[in-house]
Amino acid sequence: MATLHLLSHSPFGDSRFASCLALLGRNDALLLTGDAVHALRAGSTPWESVQQLPEGIAVFALDEDLAARGIAPSGRVQPVNYPGFVELCCRYEKVNSWL
Amino acid sequence: MSDLIIDDRTIALDKDGYLADLSDWSTLVAEALAAREELSLSQEHWEILHLMRDFYTEFQLSPATRPLIKYVALKLGPEKGNSLHLNRLFKGTPAKLAAKLAGLPKPTNCL
Amino acid sequence: MAKSLLLVSRQAPWSGPGAREALDIALAGGAFDLPIGMLFLDDGVFQLAPTQYPEAIQQKDLTANLQALPLFGVDSLYVAQRSLDERGLADTTLDLPVQCLDDAALRDLIDRYDLVITL
Repeated sequence: MATLHLLSHSPFGDSRFASCLALLGRNDALLLTGDAVHALRAGSTPWESVQQLPEGIAVFALDEDLAARGIAPSGRVQPVNYPGFVELCCRYEKVNSWL
Repeated sequence: MSDLIIDDRTIALDKDGYLADLSDWSTLVAEALAAREELSLSQEHWEILHLMRDFYTEFQLSPATRPLIKYVALKLGPEKGNSLHLNRLFKGTPAKLAAKLAGLPKPTNCL
Repeated sequence: MAKSLLLVSRQAPWSGPGAREALDIALAGGAFDLPIGMLFLDDGVFQLAPTQYPEAIQQKDLTANLQALPLFGVDSLYVAQRSLDERGLADTTLDLPVQCLDDAALRDLIDRYDLVITL
């Protein structure tokens, strides 16, 4: 069962981001919103970890949260808007919100 | 709900008739609370009330119905740890009523 | 058949409501006989450390409440080995009968449940 993992906290605050990456299944996906998009800033430590994820794992980020923080999506990151967010939640069998 | 008066001592109850201060409990208080529910306490009631208090001491919470049944079965055997026996003793709502008479807080997982 | 639910509890016990909320969900679901599992991850493993005395900081004893999980029908209890290792709890006798799982086993575990709530 492929899971969509939702992260909205900064990757620098605690171990949430690292634990999520460590527990991703082969066909899982990440959707970053809020301060979690700081993980996509090129050159940052979490960005390095995202780069190293297996290819099967899709990485999405909410476009307005990227724009608000001045982060340009690059490489494997697929920006989505809110309708896209909803579509992703339906596409995956499970959603795990890391509250 | 009004308060309980025993030997000129006033014992505060909350709006559902549970003890406001759990340390007010005594066997006399239990009997007075039971009388308000039109129940007279037999030996069979007492063994459950004492188990309720053991449960609270051990887990710091009041049991919902299923865990209460399991706990009684564990301690007194299946002939007492079943819903029929406990419902008969406590007017069909053993978790709520036994908690009240044993001086425990209202069970929060009892919706 | 009710959907199975895995609760991932990853907050330390005395600093905020997260640990209590995860436990309350587990107890409420268990009381209604729902198939529930609970995984202690990250700082959540501090809930399982022995001989804690929360009365010293005027907190209710969550660790006593945790002991009631099996009676509430929640006996699928797991802990992340990596989280224990990181926090110096690897060789400690934990306060609850939990199964220690490495990352690969945790991935399989999460996969087996219909729903996951991470708090």
